[in-house]
Amino acid sequence: MIKLIDIVKKYEVNKNNIVTALKDINIEIKEGELVVLKGASGSGKSTILSLIAALSKPTSGEVIVGDNRVSKFPDNFASDFRRDNIGFVFQKYNLIPTLSVKENIILPLLPMNLHVKEIETKLERVLKMFHIEHKANQLVKNLSGGEQQRVAIARANINTPKIILADEPTANLDEKLSLHFIDMLKELKAEGKTIVVATHDPLFFGLDIVDKEIEIHQGVLS
Amino acid sequence: MRSKINIYLIEYAINSLLRQKYKSFFITVVLTALIFLLSSLFFITNSIKYELQSTVNSLPEIVVQKVKAGRHYDIDVNAIDDILTITGVSSAVARVWGYYYFENAGVNFSIVGIDEYEQQYKNSLIHVAKKLDFNSGSSMFIGTGVKKVMNKNYYQEYFNFIKPDGTLKKVDISGVFNGDTELESNDVIVMSKENVREIFDIEEEKATDIVVKVANENEIATIASKIKLMYPDTRVITKDDLKISYQNIFDYKSGIFLALFVVSLFTFFIIIYDKASGLSSEEKKEIGILKAIGWRVDDVLKEKFYEGFIISFFSYMSGIVLALAFVYIFNAPLLQNIFTGYSQLKTSFELPFVFDIQTLALIFFLSVPIYIAATIIPSWRSATLEADEVIR
Ligand SMILES: Nc1ncnc2c1ncn2[C@@H]1O[C@H](COP(=O)(O)OP(=O)(O)OP(=O)(O)O)[C@@H](O)[C@H]1O
Ligand SMILES: [Mg+2]
Repeated sequence: MIKLIDIVKKYEVNKNNIVTALKDINIEIKEGELVVLKGASGSGKSTILSLIAALSKPTSGEVIVGDNRVSKFPDNFASDFRRDNIGFVFQKYNLIPTLSVKENIILPLLPMNLHVKEIETKLERVLKMFHIEHKANQLVKNLSGGEQQRVAIARANINTPKIILADEPTANLDEKLSLHFIDMLKELKAEGKTIVVATHDPLFFGLDIVDKEIEIHQGVLS
Repeated sequence: MRSKINIYLIEYAINSLLRQKYKSFFITVVLTALIFLLSSLFFITNSIKYELQSTVNSLPEIVVQKVKAGRHYDIDVNAIDDILTITGVSSAVARVWGYYYFENAGVNFSIVGIDEYEQQYKNSLIHVAKKLDFNSGSSMFIGTGVKKVMNKNYYQEYFNFIKPDGTLKKVDISGVFNGDTELESNDVIVMSKENVREIFDIEEEKATDIVVKVANENEIATIASKIKLMYPDTRVITKDDLKISYQNIFDYKSGIFLALFVVSLFTFFIIIYDKASGLSSEEKKEIGILKAIGWRVDDVLKEKFYEGFIISFFSYMSGIVLALAFVYIFNAPLLQNIFTGYSQLKTSFELPFVFDIQTLALIFFLSVPIYIAATIIPSWRSATLEADEVIR
């Protein structure tokens, strides 16, 4: 279960310019739910995902994921929490372009010092699941946008997280690829994962797999 | 499990260096060159210090010269008998020697007259020649530097000295020194006293100077002043005086080395400063990504540590190996010229191998940890920012 309680998030651009990105946000997401966060550009969608993933801390309020009060986590705890629980598909994918597909996907596992066999098994699974096997040894910078996105999802799933966060996943895809992405989400939902998708893509609105739509407008829920 | 060495992070570090291969290559070359220069300087300095030390150790305790109007004249050998009466003096021997200017090459040779039966000479010179034997009459032993100069000027077997009266004196070359105090003996020619007298036109009862041996080091100063009282027209030079003037030559020359040393350190710190002052936006972003997908700060720092260690340790090893080869196998061309040639002789001499762990450790600590710190510190700054800020 994911809970955001009375969240306020302010960014201090400089002394005279403080942006309030989120204001009095209360959200509850149950385990296994697929939730769509919708809203215009700049409304605060990415900020919410960041808070859930403990990538940033709220100015006030609390973020609770499962039994973890992640908004109170010190930095190293936050890293471990992300590694073990969160699969994040970033808005701009955030892949390392000069590494190969394979190398990008296993990146989260490296600090864990696992056995080579174990890494290979995990890698095989996500390569197959997201249909990117044939590009495994190519450099990411040479891939198309859709392929890069599949690498990003594969990387997000390498450590079998319980929670998937996807930020504007279809922003750079055509309709066919977007529908394909939705199929992949279906699969993940079927595995019982909790999924939060931030998007303003109408393809997601009113989908039968979507349990809840949360609309945000200039940092406030509507 | 986390404390164990993580091969994946090392692999990632290597991969990361290879991904920026021009940058890594450039840094490695510059670091290697600096470490090479620095350690060459240290190696040469150490060797020459060692060389000077052994030279100084073989110097006579007291040298007595006759001085008139501030200039050096031949001294009466009769003075020896008087000097020997001073208590504490164990021996006093007349030396016959001088500088011979070889015009063709424009260099000076030091010619030293030696008498097989005089112990004083044996002590200071026997270790530089294989065998001292002048039975063959007109023959001489020459330093390796002298040999080179003579050979270059068509004298292979003998040499023609021009005497003060303009006539020639032919002396056969019967051997070459292979001593360990090469710095000193490089430009030296050793021959019988009669021959030296003839070449320099020194009278039979005169000598260039008198060398006095003292049994007890502590008495050197007292005995020196007694000789000075006995012969007010002399200059009495003690081993300590000589030590100081040798040391002065070294210190002056090592000033040049110090300058080179400072320049190379300066360059090093510019590199360090440049590195420490910031990461490129790609590097920052990469750290942000790693953090965002679950790397801890210390995972990032470990990986950066390996990057810094691989580059700096590799550069250190290659710099040291190159310097060892440069100094001790190739005899430090260019750099060693600063130090040799006591009497303008353009010669080479072999640098004795002095292995000094302290020097290696000093260079290590001047390079590797500093470079690693310069790699880690900016990464640490990026890694401790909120990951969200870095990847946006
Ligand atoms: N690091 C930051 N510094 C200052 N302002 C920020 C920062 N991050 C976000 N903001 C501001 O917070 C607000 C919310 O940003 P956020 O990225 O969450 O919006 P979004 O809904 O994801 O928009 P988009 O659809 O364009 O991705 C915006 O006004 C943005 O400019
Ligand atoms: Mg966004």
